[in-house]
Amino acid sequence: MASPSDPHGSDFSAAELEFLAEDETIEIVPNMRMDPLDMTCGVFGPFHPQIATQVPMWLAVALKKRGKCTIRPPEWMSVEKLTQVLEAERDSQKSFQPLPFHYVETSRLLFDHARDDIPDIYMVRSLIEDIKDVRFHKIGSGLEVISQRTAALKLENLTAMEVNIVRPFVVRALQTFYKLDNPEITQESDTRANRRFPAANHGPKRPLKRKQTFGFELYTSLSGGPEIHELLTIDTRRTDNRYLFQVWLGFKVVGPALPERSGPLGLGWLDPA
Amino acid sequence: MSQYYDLDDIIAEDELVPAVFQVAANGVGLFDSSDETNKVEQGSRVELPFWLARELHLRQAVSISLPPCFNQKTRDELAADAAHVDLKNRCPYFYELGCKLFSLAGDKSIAFLLLAAFQTRYKEVLIKAQTAALAVAPKFLTILTKEEMKLYEAGQSSMAAFKKWRMGGPRFQKASVLGRKRRPSD
Repeated sequence: MASPSDPHGSDFSAAELEFLAEDETIEIVPNMRMDPLDMTCGVFGPFHPQIATQVPMWLAVALKKRGKCTIRPPEWMSVEKLTQVLEAERDSQKSFQPLPFHYVETSRLLFDHARDDIPDIYMVRSLIEDIKDVRFHKIGSGLEVISQRTAALKLENLTAMEVNIVRPFVVRALQTFYKLDNPEITQESDTRANRRFPAANHGPKRPLKRKQTFGFELYTSLSGGPEIHELLTIDTRRTDNRYLFQVWLGFKVVGPALPERSGPLGLGWLDPA
Repeated sequence: MSQYYDLDDIIAEDELVPAVFQVAANGVGLFDSSDETNKVEQGSRVELPFWLARELHLRQAVSISLPPCFNQKTRDELAADAAHVDLKNRCPYFYELGCKLFSLAGDKSIAFLLLAAFQTRYKEVLIKAQTAALAVAPKFLTILTKEEMKLYEAGQSSMAAFKKWRMGGPRFQKASVLGRKRRPSD
């Protein structure tokens, strides 16, 4: 889908992610009367003054620019909610708080175009900045645990922008570790590993060892090296208005090992509907 | 297996490897510049680029020994504090060459050395790539090998791209042919 606009950078540029984020719906209160808009991506409206309705972000921004509506900031973007999230984020060193998948982009869009519609905008903005910094720090310390035995990283509750930023680094690091992990060494440490997990290495299925660290579940293959394939899968489900995201980022292990739960291979985005 | 078209892979094979001729060879006097007979004697020590040394080694014409970047001194330094060893100065293709030598020389300790070194240095690269401002970086960057440099750049550039996006700037760029008659938008 995305053409790598920058060969050394992320597979998506930040602007491309912003574009994707504009498909998220948001509530607006129009101040004009208009018939429903029948579009390929859905029917939006009808628009009546003072009656709230759900529209995609790009439409909300377009209407807002023309002064045709006010945007209602999403529920999570209130000072109380964000304070809670920030505290929880600081408290737990091992996990990430669930946030909207595009929270960085959404907040940026709203700060740019709908400053007057967000109550306590300075507070909200600094809270979001703080949350982002805390999460980035956690990601950084989480990535320190990558070693030559790491086949894939499972990143739970990580959002689009965060995954996008670490992707080039993580993929390259895993590739290098894979390259340096010679078959000879592998055999040697396999015998070591098999002593600890005697039943682990038979049959075509390579079992993966699970380790919960820093919100990353590390899937560590016990034998053999993974074939190098970048794999990013986003498993999206919606439960009571909340998104559940699982982002896979790592290698496809040749053979039937890794992705029993991995969904589509390769780069792709699932519509969160 | 390495990539055939990978430039770094090709350049890595240019690294010099000490070798000893097992047979006398005619017409290759340039390896041994002291000689006027345009001939290399049996048992003479020369430094050959890896790609040549490998081929000759496979034909059992030379025997290869490890280049200085894998000597005991470097190993000791790596064992002491791998993160601050100037590997770039010793061999910018430390890991690539190490992997190639490993399969050729069959010295198992190299593989462990490479892994252990990268394991330690990886963390340093990670921290620097995520946090360091560009002003701090240069001193640290001079000790990185090619491989680590690429890793650092991968982390650094995506972080920089994100920061640039967040700072804003012109959100839309107008094509030069457009906009002459239009009023500037907000």
